[in-house]
Amino acid sequence: MSIRRQCYEWRNVAESKNFQITPPLVAIDDFNDVILNRYPISALSYKIGTASEKLFWKVVPIAPNQVVDIFNGDIGNNLDIPGQLKAYQFVVLDGIAVYPPQFNAQIIVNTTRYFQDPDGVPSRDGGISGYTVPFPNGTRTPNTALPRFIPNIGQSQGGLLNTLADGLQPPIIIRPGDRWAVEVKNNGSEEFPTAPSLIKRMTDIGVARCFIKYLLIDGADSIVAQRLIEAGWPLTVENLWRYKQDLIKTHLYAGMAELPESIKNARRKV
Amino acid sequence: MAIRKQLYTWELFGDNTDGRLATSQGHYPPAGTENSILYGDYGNVQPAQQTGLVKEDDFLVIEEIGCTPGISPYGFMVDGAGNLVKWIPNMFVNIVIDTTNYYQDPQNVWSSGVSGFASPYPRQTADEPYYELWPPIYVLPDQTIDFRYTMFNDLQLSAENDEWVNIPDSTVLAAVYVGYTHYDGTDAMMARKLMNLGIPVTVSTVESYRRLLLKSKGLEIETFEFYLETMKNERERRKKERKNQGIATQQDYDGDL
Repeated sequence: MSIRRQCYEWRNVAESKNFQITPPLVAIDDFNDVILNRYPISALSYKIGTASEKLFWKVVPIAPNQVVDIFNGDIGNNLDIPGQLKAYQFVVLDGIAVYPPQFNAQIIVNTTRYFQDPDGVPSRDGGISGYTVPFPNGTRTPNTALPRFIPNIGQSQGGLLNTLADGLQPPIIIRPGDRWAVEVKNNGSEEFPTAPSLIKRMTDIGVARCFIKYLLIDGADSIVAQRLIEAGWPLTVENLWRYKQDLIKTHLYAGMAELPESIKNARRKV
Repeated sequence: MAIRKQLYTWELFGDNTDGRLATSQGHYPPAGTENSILYGDYGNVQPAQQTGLVKEDDFLVIEEIGCTPGISPYGFMVDGAGNLVKWIPNMFVNIVIDTTNYYQDPQNVWSSGVSGFASPYPRQTADEPYYELWPPIYVLPDQTIDFRYTMFNDLQLSAENDEWVNIPDSTVLAAVYVGYTHYDGTDAMMARKLMNLGIPVTVSTVESYRRLLLKSKGLEIETFEFYLETMKNERERRKKERKNQGIATQQDYDGDL
């Protein structure tokens, strides 16, 4: 029984198989592109450009028009199973952000894609772009490397501000039993990241990422959520609280209400 | 008896070695492992390494959490003397109450928590954090509270690459920030009462409740009459409201007939 503010973050980072052996400096440069249920471990690569080179850091390039499911897309940190709600859970998805700017993010609930083009077709660009919802929000991006990734809009220092900083309004309500997913698409004309010479020493500027935040409502609170939806109320923390207050207040008043005359004057029995 | 805005920070500093496994053992947390900022084996934890147990006359409301931002280990910086002055730990932080993990992933399994990109600490002027811990988390008396971080960049393996010669003890390698409001004594009792009534526990609601109690002056006849009057007024107000809304029942009109 709780209302919890949750978040999930995806990155296109791979994990060196060197981490699976001890000592880790003797294996070949082989990577697992997908890591389940956790984030990949990384380190500075060893003696790059020499005969004893061993790589401990790598990002998985995303090709133009490639679409990646951030839960089960076989790139970066993934989950065992798709996102699916249990019978006593609600999710209120109210925030999404993506990087780099030329990437787009799409939210899928069951078979419906959230972002559409004006003609009613699911967004051909692949959803909302990183220009609109950058991640992280507002942080200055180093503009010394890969300047083509820095758009001439937003802050003078190169950072973008999230146009939807207050989140998606109205939020997306995902009901018990629904399946949901988030996809990112490289909507640019080039692979990301695009600088092969820098890829072994790639900084954060070359790491694609997608972030979502949502309210997870489960247990008894999901029953309250269901009642709010039936009554046409927005599913917000404040409304959930208010509904519960009203429930408690109603019970208090019920205990203090005046009894009907027939009961009040009735002969008491033991 | 007080309401206090508290904060707790944890930092991991260098140890004046080059950081390799051979020269520095037990100072840096292994990558991928989860450690506590209260009683863990690394960084400036509390001297007694005590678990965060909320006492029976305490009530905590956790409102903020953040950690060092960044992903790539190649965001490190070395000064002219070969000292490591900046490190990117690629870290996440999680909140654990008793045996329950606050953050879970979409498949309902224990996750690493919130990243420094989503909720950065320290916060720069350019940062506009997108993540906010809302609603806040209540930690009740006799519950244990813990904050656990996980770093996914391996500092000691990175040190083998000879990029630096020293990690000074002035370099903050990783940090976690937690902001919360601490209610203790009678304020904690009031906070608990408000929570049971379904009212959000904030400084203003607790102070308001305290004013109401002081006005009531304990359980005297006057107090009883005060509550009686309050409830009567409320019933009248609700009745009037129902009439205005057109949802009044016959019972609401009984007194008028």
